[in-house]
Amino acid sequence: MAAVIELQGVGKSFGDHTVYQDMHLAVEEGETLTVIGGSGQGKSVCMKMMIGLLFADEGEVRFRGAEVSELDHEGLRALRQKVAMVFQGGALFDSMNIRDNVGYALIEHTSMADEAITARAWECLDMVGLGQDRGLLERMPVSLSGGMRKRVAIARSIALQPEIILYDEPTTGLDPSNIRRIGSMILKLQKELGVTSVVVTHDMPTAFRVSNRIAMLYERHFPFVDTPEGFKHTEVPEVRNFIQGRVRDGA
Amino acid sequence: MSNFTESAKNVLASVGGVLTSGFGWVGGICRLLWDATIRGARRPFGIHDIFYHMVSLGVRSLPLATVMSLFVGMVLTWQFGEALIGFGAKNAIGYASSLALVRELVPVILALTVGAKMATGMTAELGSMKVSEQIDAIASLGADPIKKLIWPRLVAATWSLPILAVWGNVLALASGAVIADVVFDVPADYFYETYVDELWPSDYLSGLGKSVVFGLLVGLIGCYQGLTTKYGTEAVGISTTNTVVATSVSILSMDFILTTIFLPVS
Ligand SMILES: Nc1ncnc2c1ncn2[C@@H]1O[C@H](COP(=O)(O)OP(=O)(O)OP(=O)(O)O)[C@@H](O)[C@H]1O
Ligand SMILES: [Mg+2]
Repeated sequence: MAAVIELQGVGKSFGDHTVYQDMHLAVEEGETLTVIGGSGQGKSVCMKMMIGLLFADEGEVRFRGAEVSELDHEGLRALRQKVAMVFQGGALFDSMNIRDNVGYALIEHTSMADEAITARAWECLDMVGLGQDRGLLERMPVSLSGGMRKRVAIARSIALQPEIILYDEPTTGLDPSNIRRIGSMILKLQKELGVTSVVVTHDMPTAFRVSNRIAMLYERHFPFVDTPEGFKHTEVPEVRNFIQGRVRDGA
Repeated sequence: MSNFTESAKNVLASVGGVLTSGFGWVGGICRLLWDATIRGARRPFGIHDIFYHMVSLGVRSLPLATVMSLFVGMVLTWQFGEALIGFGAKNAIGYASSLALVRELVPVILALTVGAKMATGMTAELGSMKVSEQIDAIASLGADPIKKLIWPRLVAATWSLPILAVWGNVLALASGAVIADVVFDVPADYFYETYVDELWPSDYLSGLGKSVVFGLLVGLIGCYQGLTTKYGTEAVGISTTNTVVATSVSILSMDFILTTIFLPVS
């Protein structure tokens, strides 16, 4: 298997606060890679570097072999049609209704007719468990609950059928049945469409369920990368403490 | 002595700091203008968005522009009337008021009030989009935030302010005529004739030209401050406050520059 996204020797600082130092991580074609790690350690920054919203100070970030920081406008535009990101806070467009939010990439990149865009938006909302009330399409983001906004954000990122999806905490704030549903959706997209996923989550059951590999962020890089089985039976104290701490917190 | 050198050094250092950040800011504004022109001025032009922002900027500012223009016309005519009575020349009141109003006061007063309102509105809106990662989200969906957000606002501001200034000129003339007639007993139609007689096309153009430049400046500052908002909600408040200061200072300095350019011509 070839790496789709590859970070090599990456360093990233904000002022004198160093988030990454000599960090290596590779996302393989077709896999689901889960990133875990303490709050404020740089998981969201890592995803933003993958999609060219932030650039590494040192090292290389490659997408299918091309250095992301060297892409021009057209290059980045092409990259972002293939790689979608679900933001941690949802980042829905306040000034647009749900239909225009979910259809945003379709309006931007395709010449689909209005009805086709509405139909596709509806289909995506259904996939994230929001397919009960068609009136939702016309509602504005402010009138939705936090969990609904999160799911609309997921629907928006899958609308254009990207090859790679970066989920930043997709299940935070959802009830157990919707957590299962989002997990199933990630698995289904992988199985049926071969989508590659990177998932940041604090929710270990979901991590164990959907991942092919898990990477743990620790001290500014990813020293522990293993399969879910490997993580469950690990002897490494740092990893064990982290996972068991989470499980206990969640129970 | 050493105390003096010490404090002189400190003063120099802080002046240096202010200058550096000032140049950085101006550079950022120029960069934004460049990016918006390169990336905005191509198909599709986003006519729909531009129109939307013009309507919302223009219509929302109409009451303020109306009030400001009425008062500036009245106050200025009154002051000139008082001064001219002293020379027994109150009939020249139309001549005296017209140049000051058309070339200077209407464009500047409107830019300082209506313009500042437009700019802070843009900063608050774009700033909260920045903070809630909506601007990143636009980019992540493969669209260009400069093209989608900045370009239509710049064009709309550049057009709205001069249109409001035309309206403001009409009102300032009318309110000035009322003051001339009621307070100084100079007939309103005589005021109107002398007012218009004094003006050359170049005067209208320099007034309008100023409004265009101020409008662009207002849009640039409003957008730049919004885009450079730091993370956190209180940051939106800070950058909005800075926008008020930045627009006032920039408009008055730009006014000085434009006056030195336009005046020798007319
Ligand atoms: N644009 C930015 N400017 C300055 N500092 C930033 C910026 N983005 C992130 N940081 C800093 O980088 C660090 C990592 O942030 P990040 O959002 O990636 O954390 P995280 O691992 O996603 O945390 P959480 O689990 O709470 O979401 C934090 O200390 C944050 O303050
Ligand atoms: Mg995060």
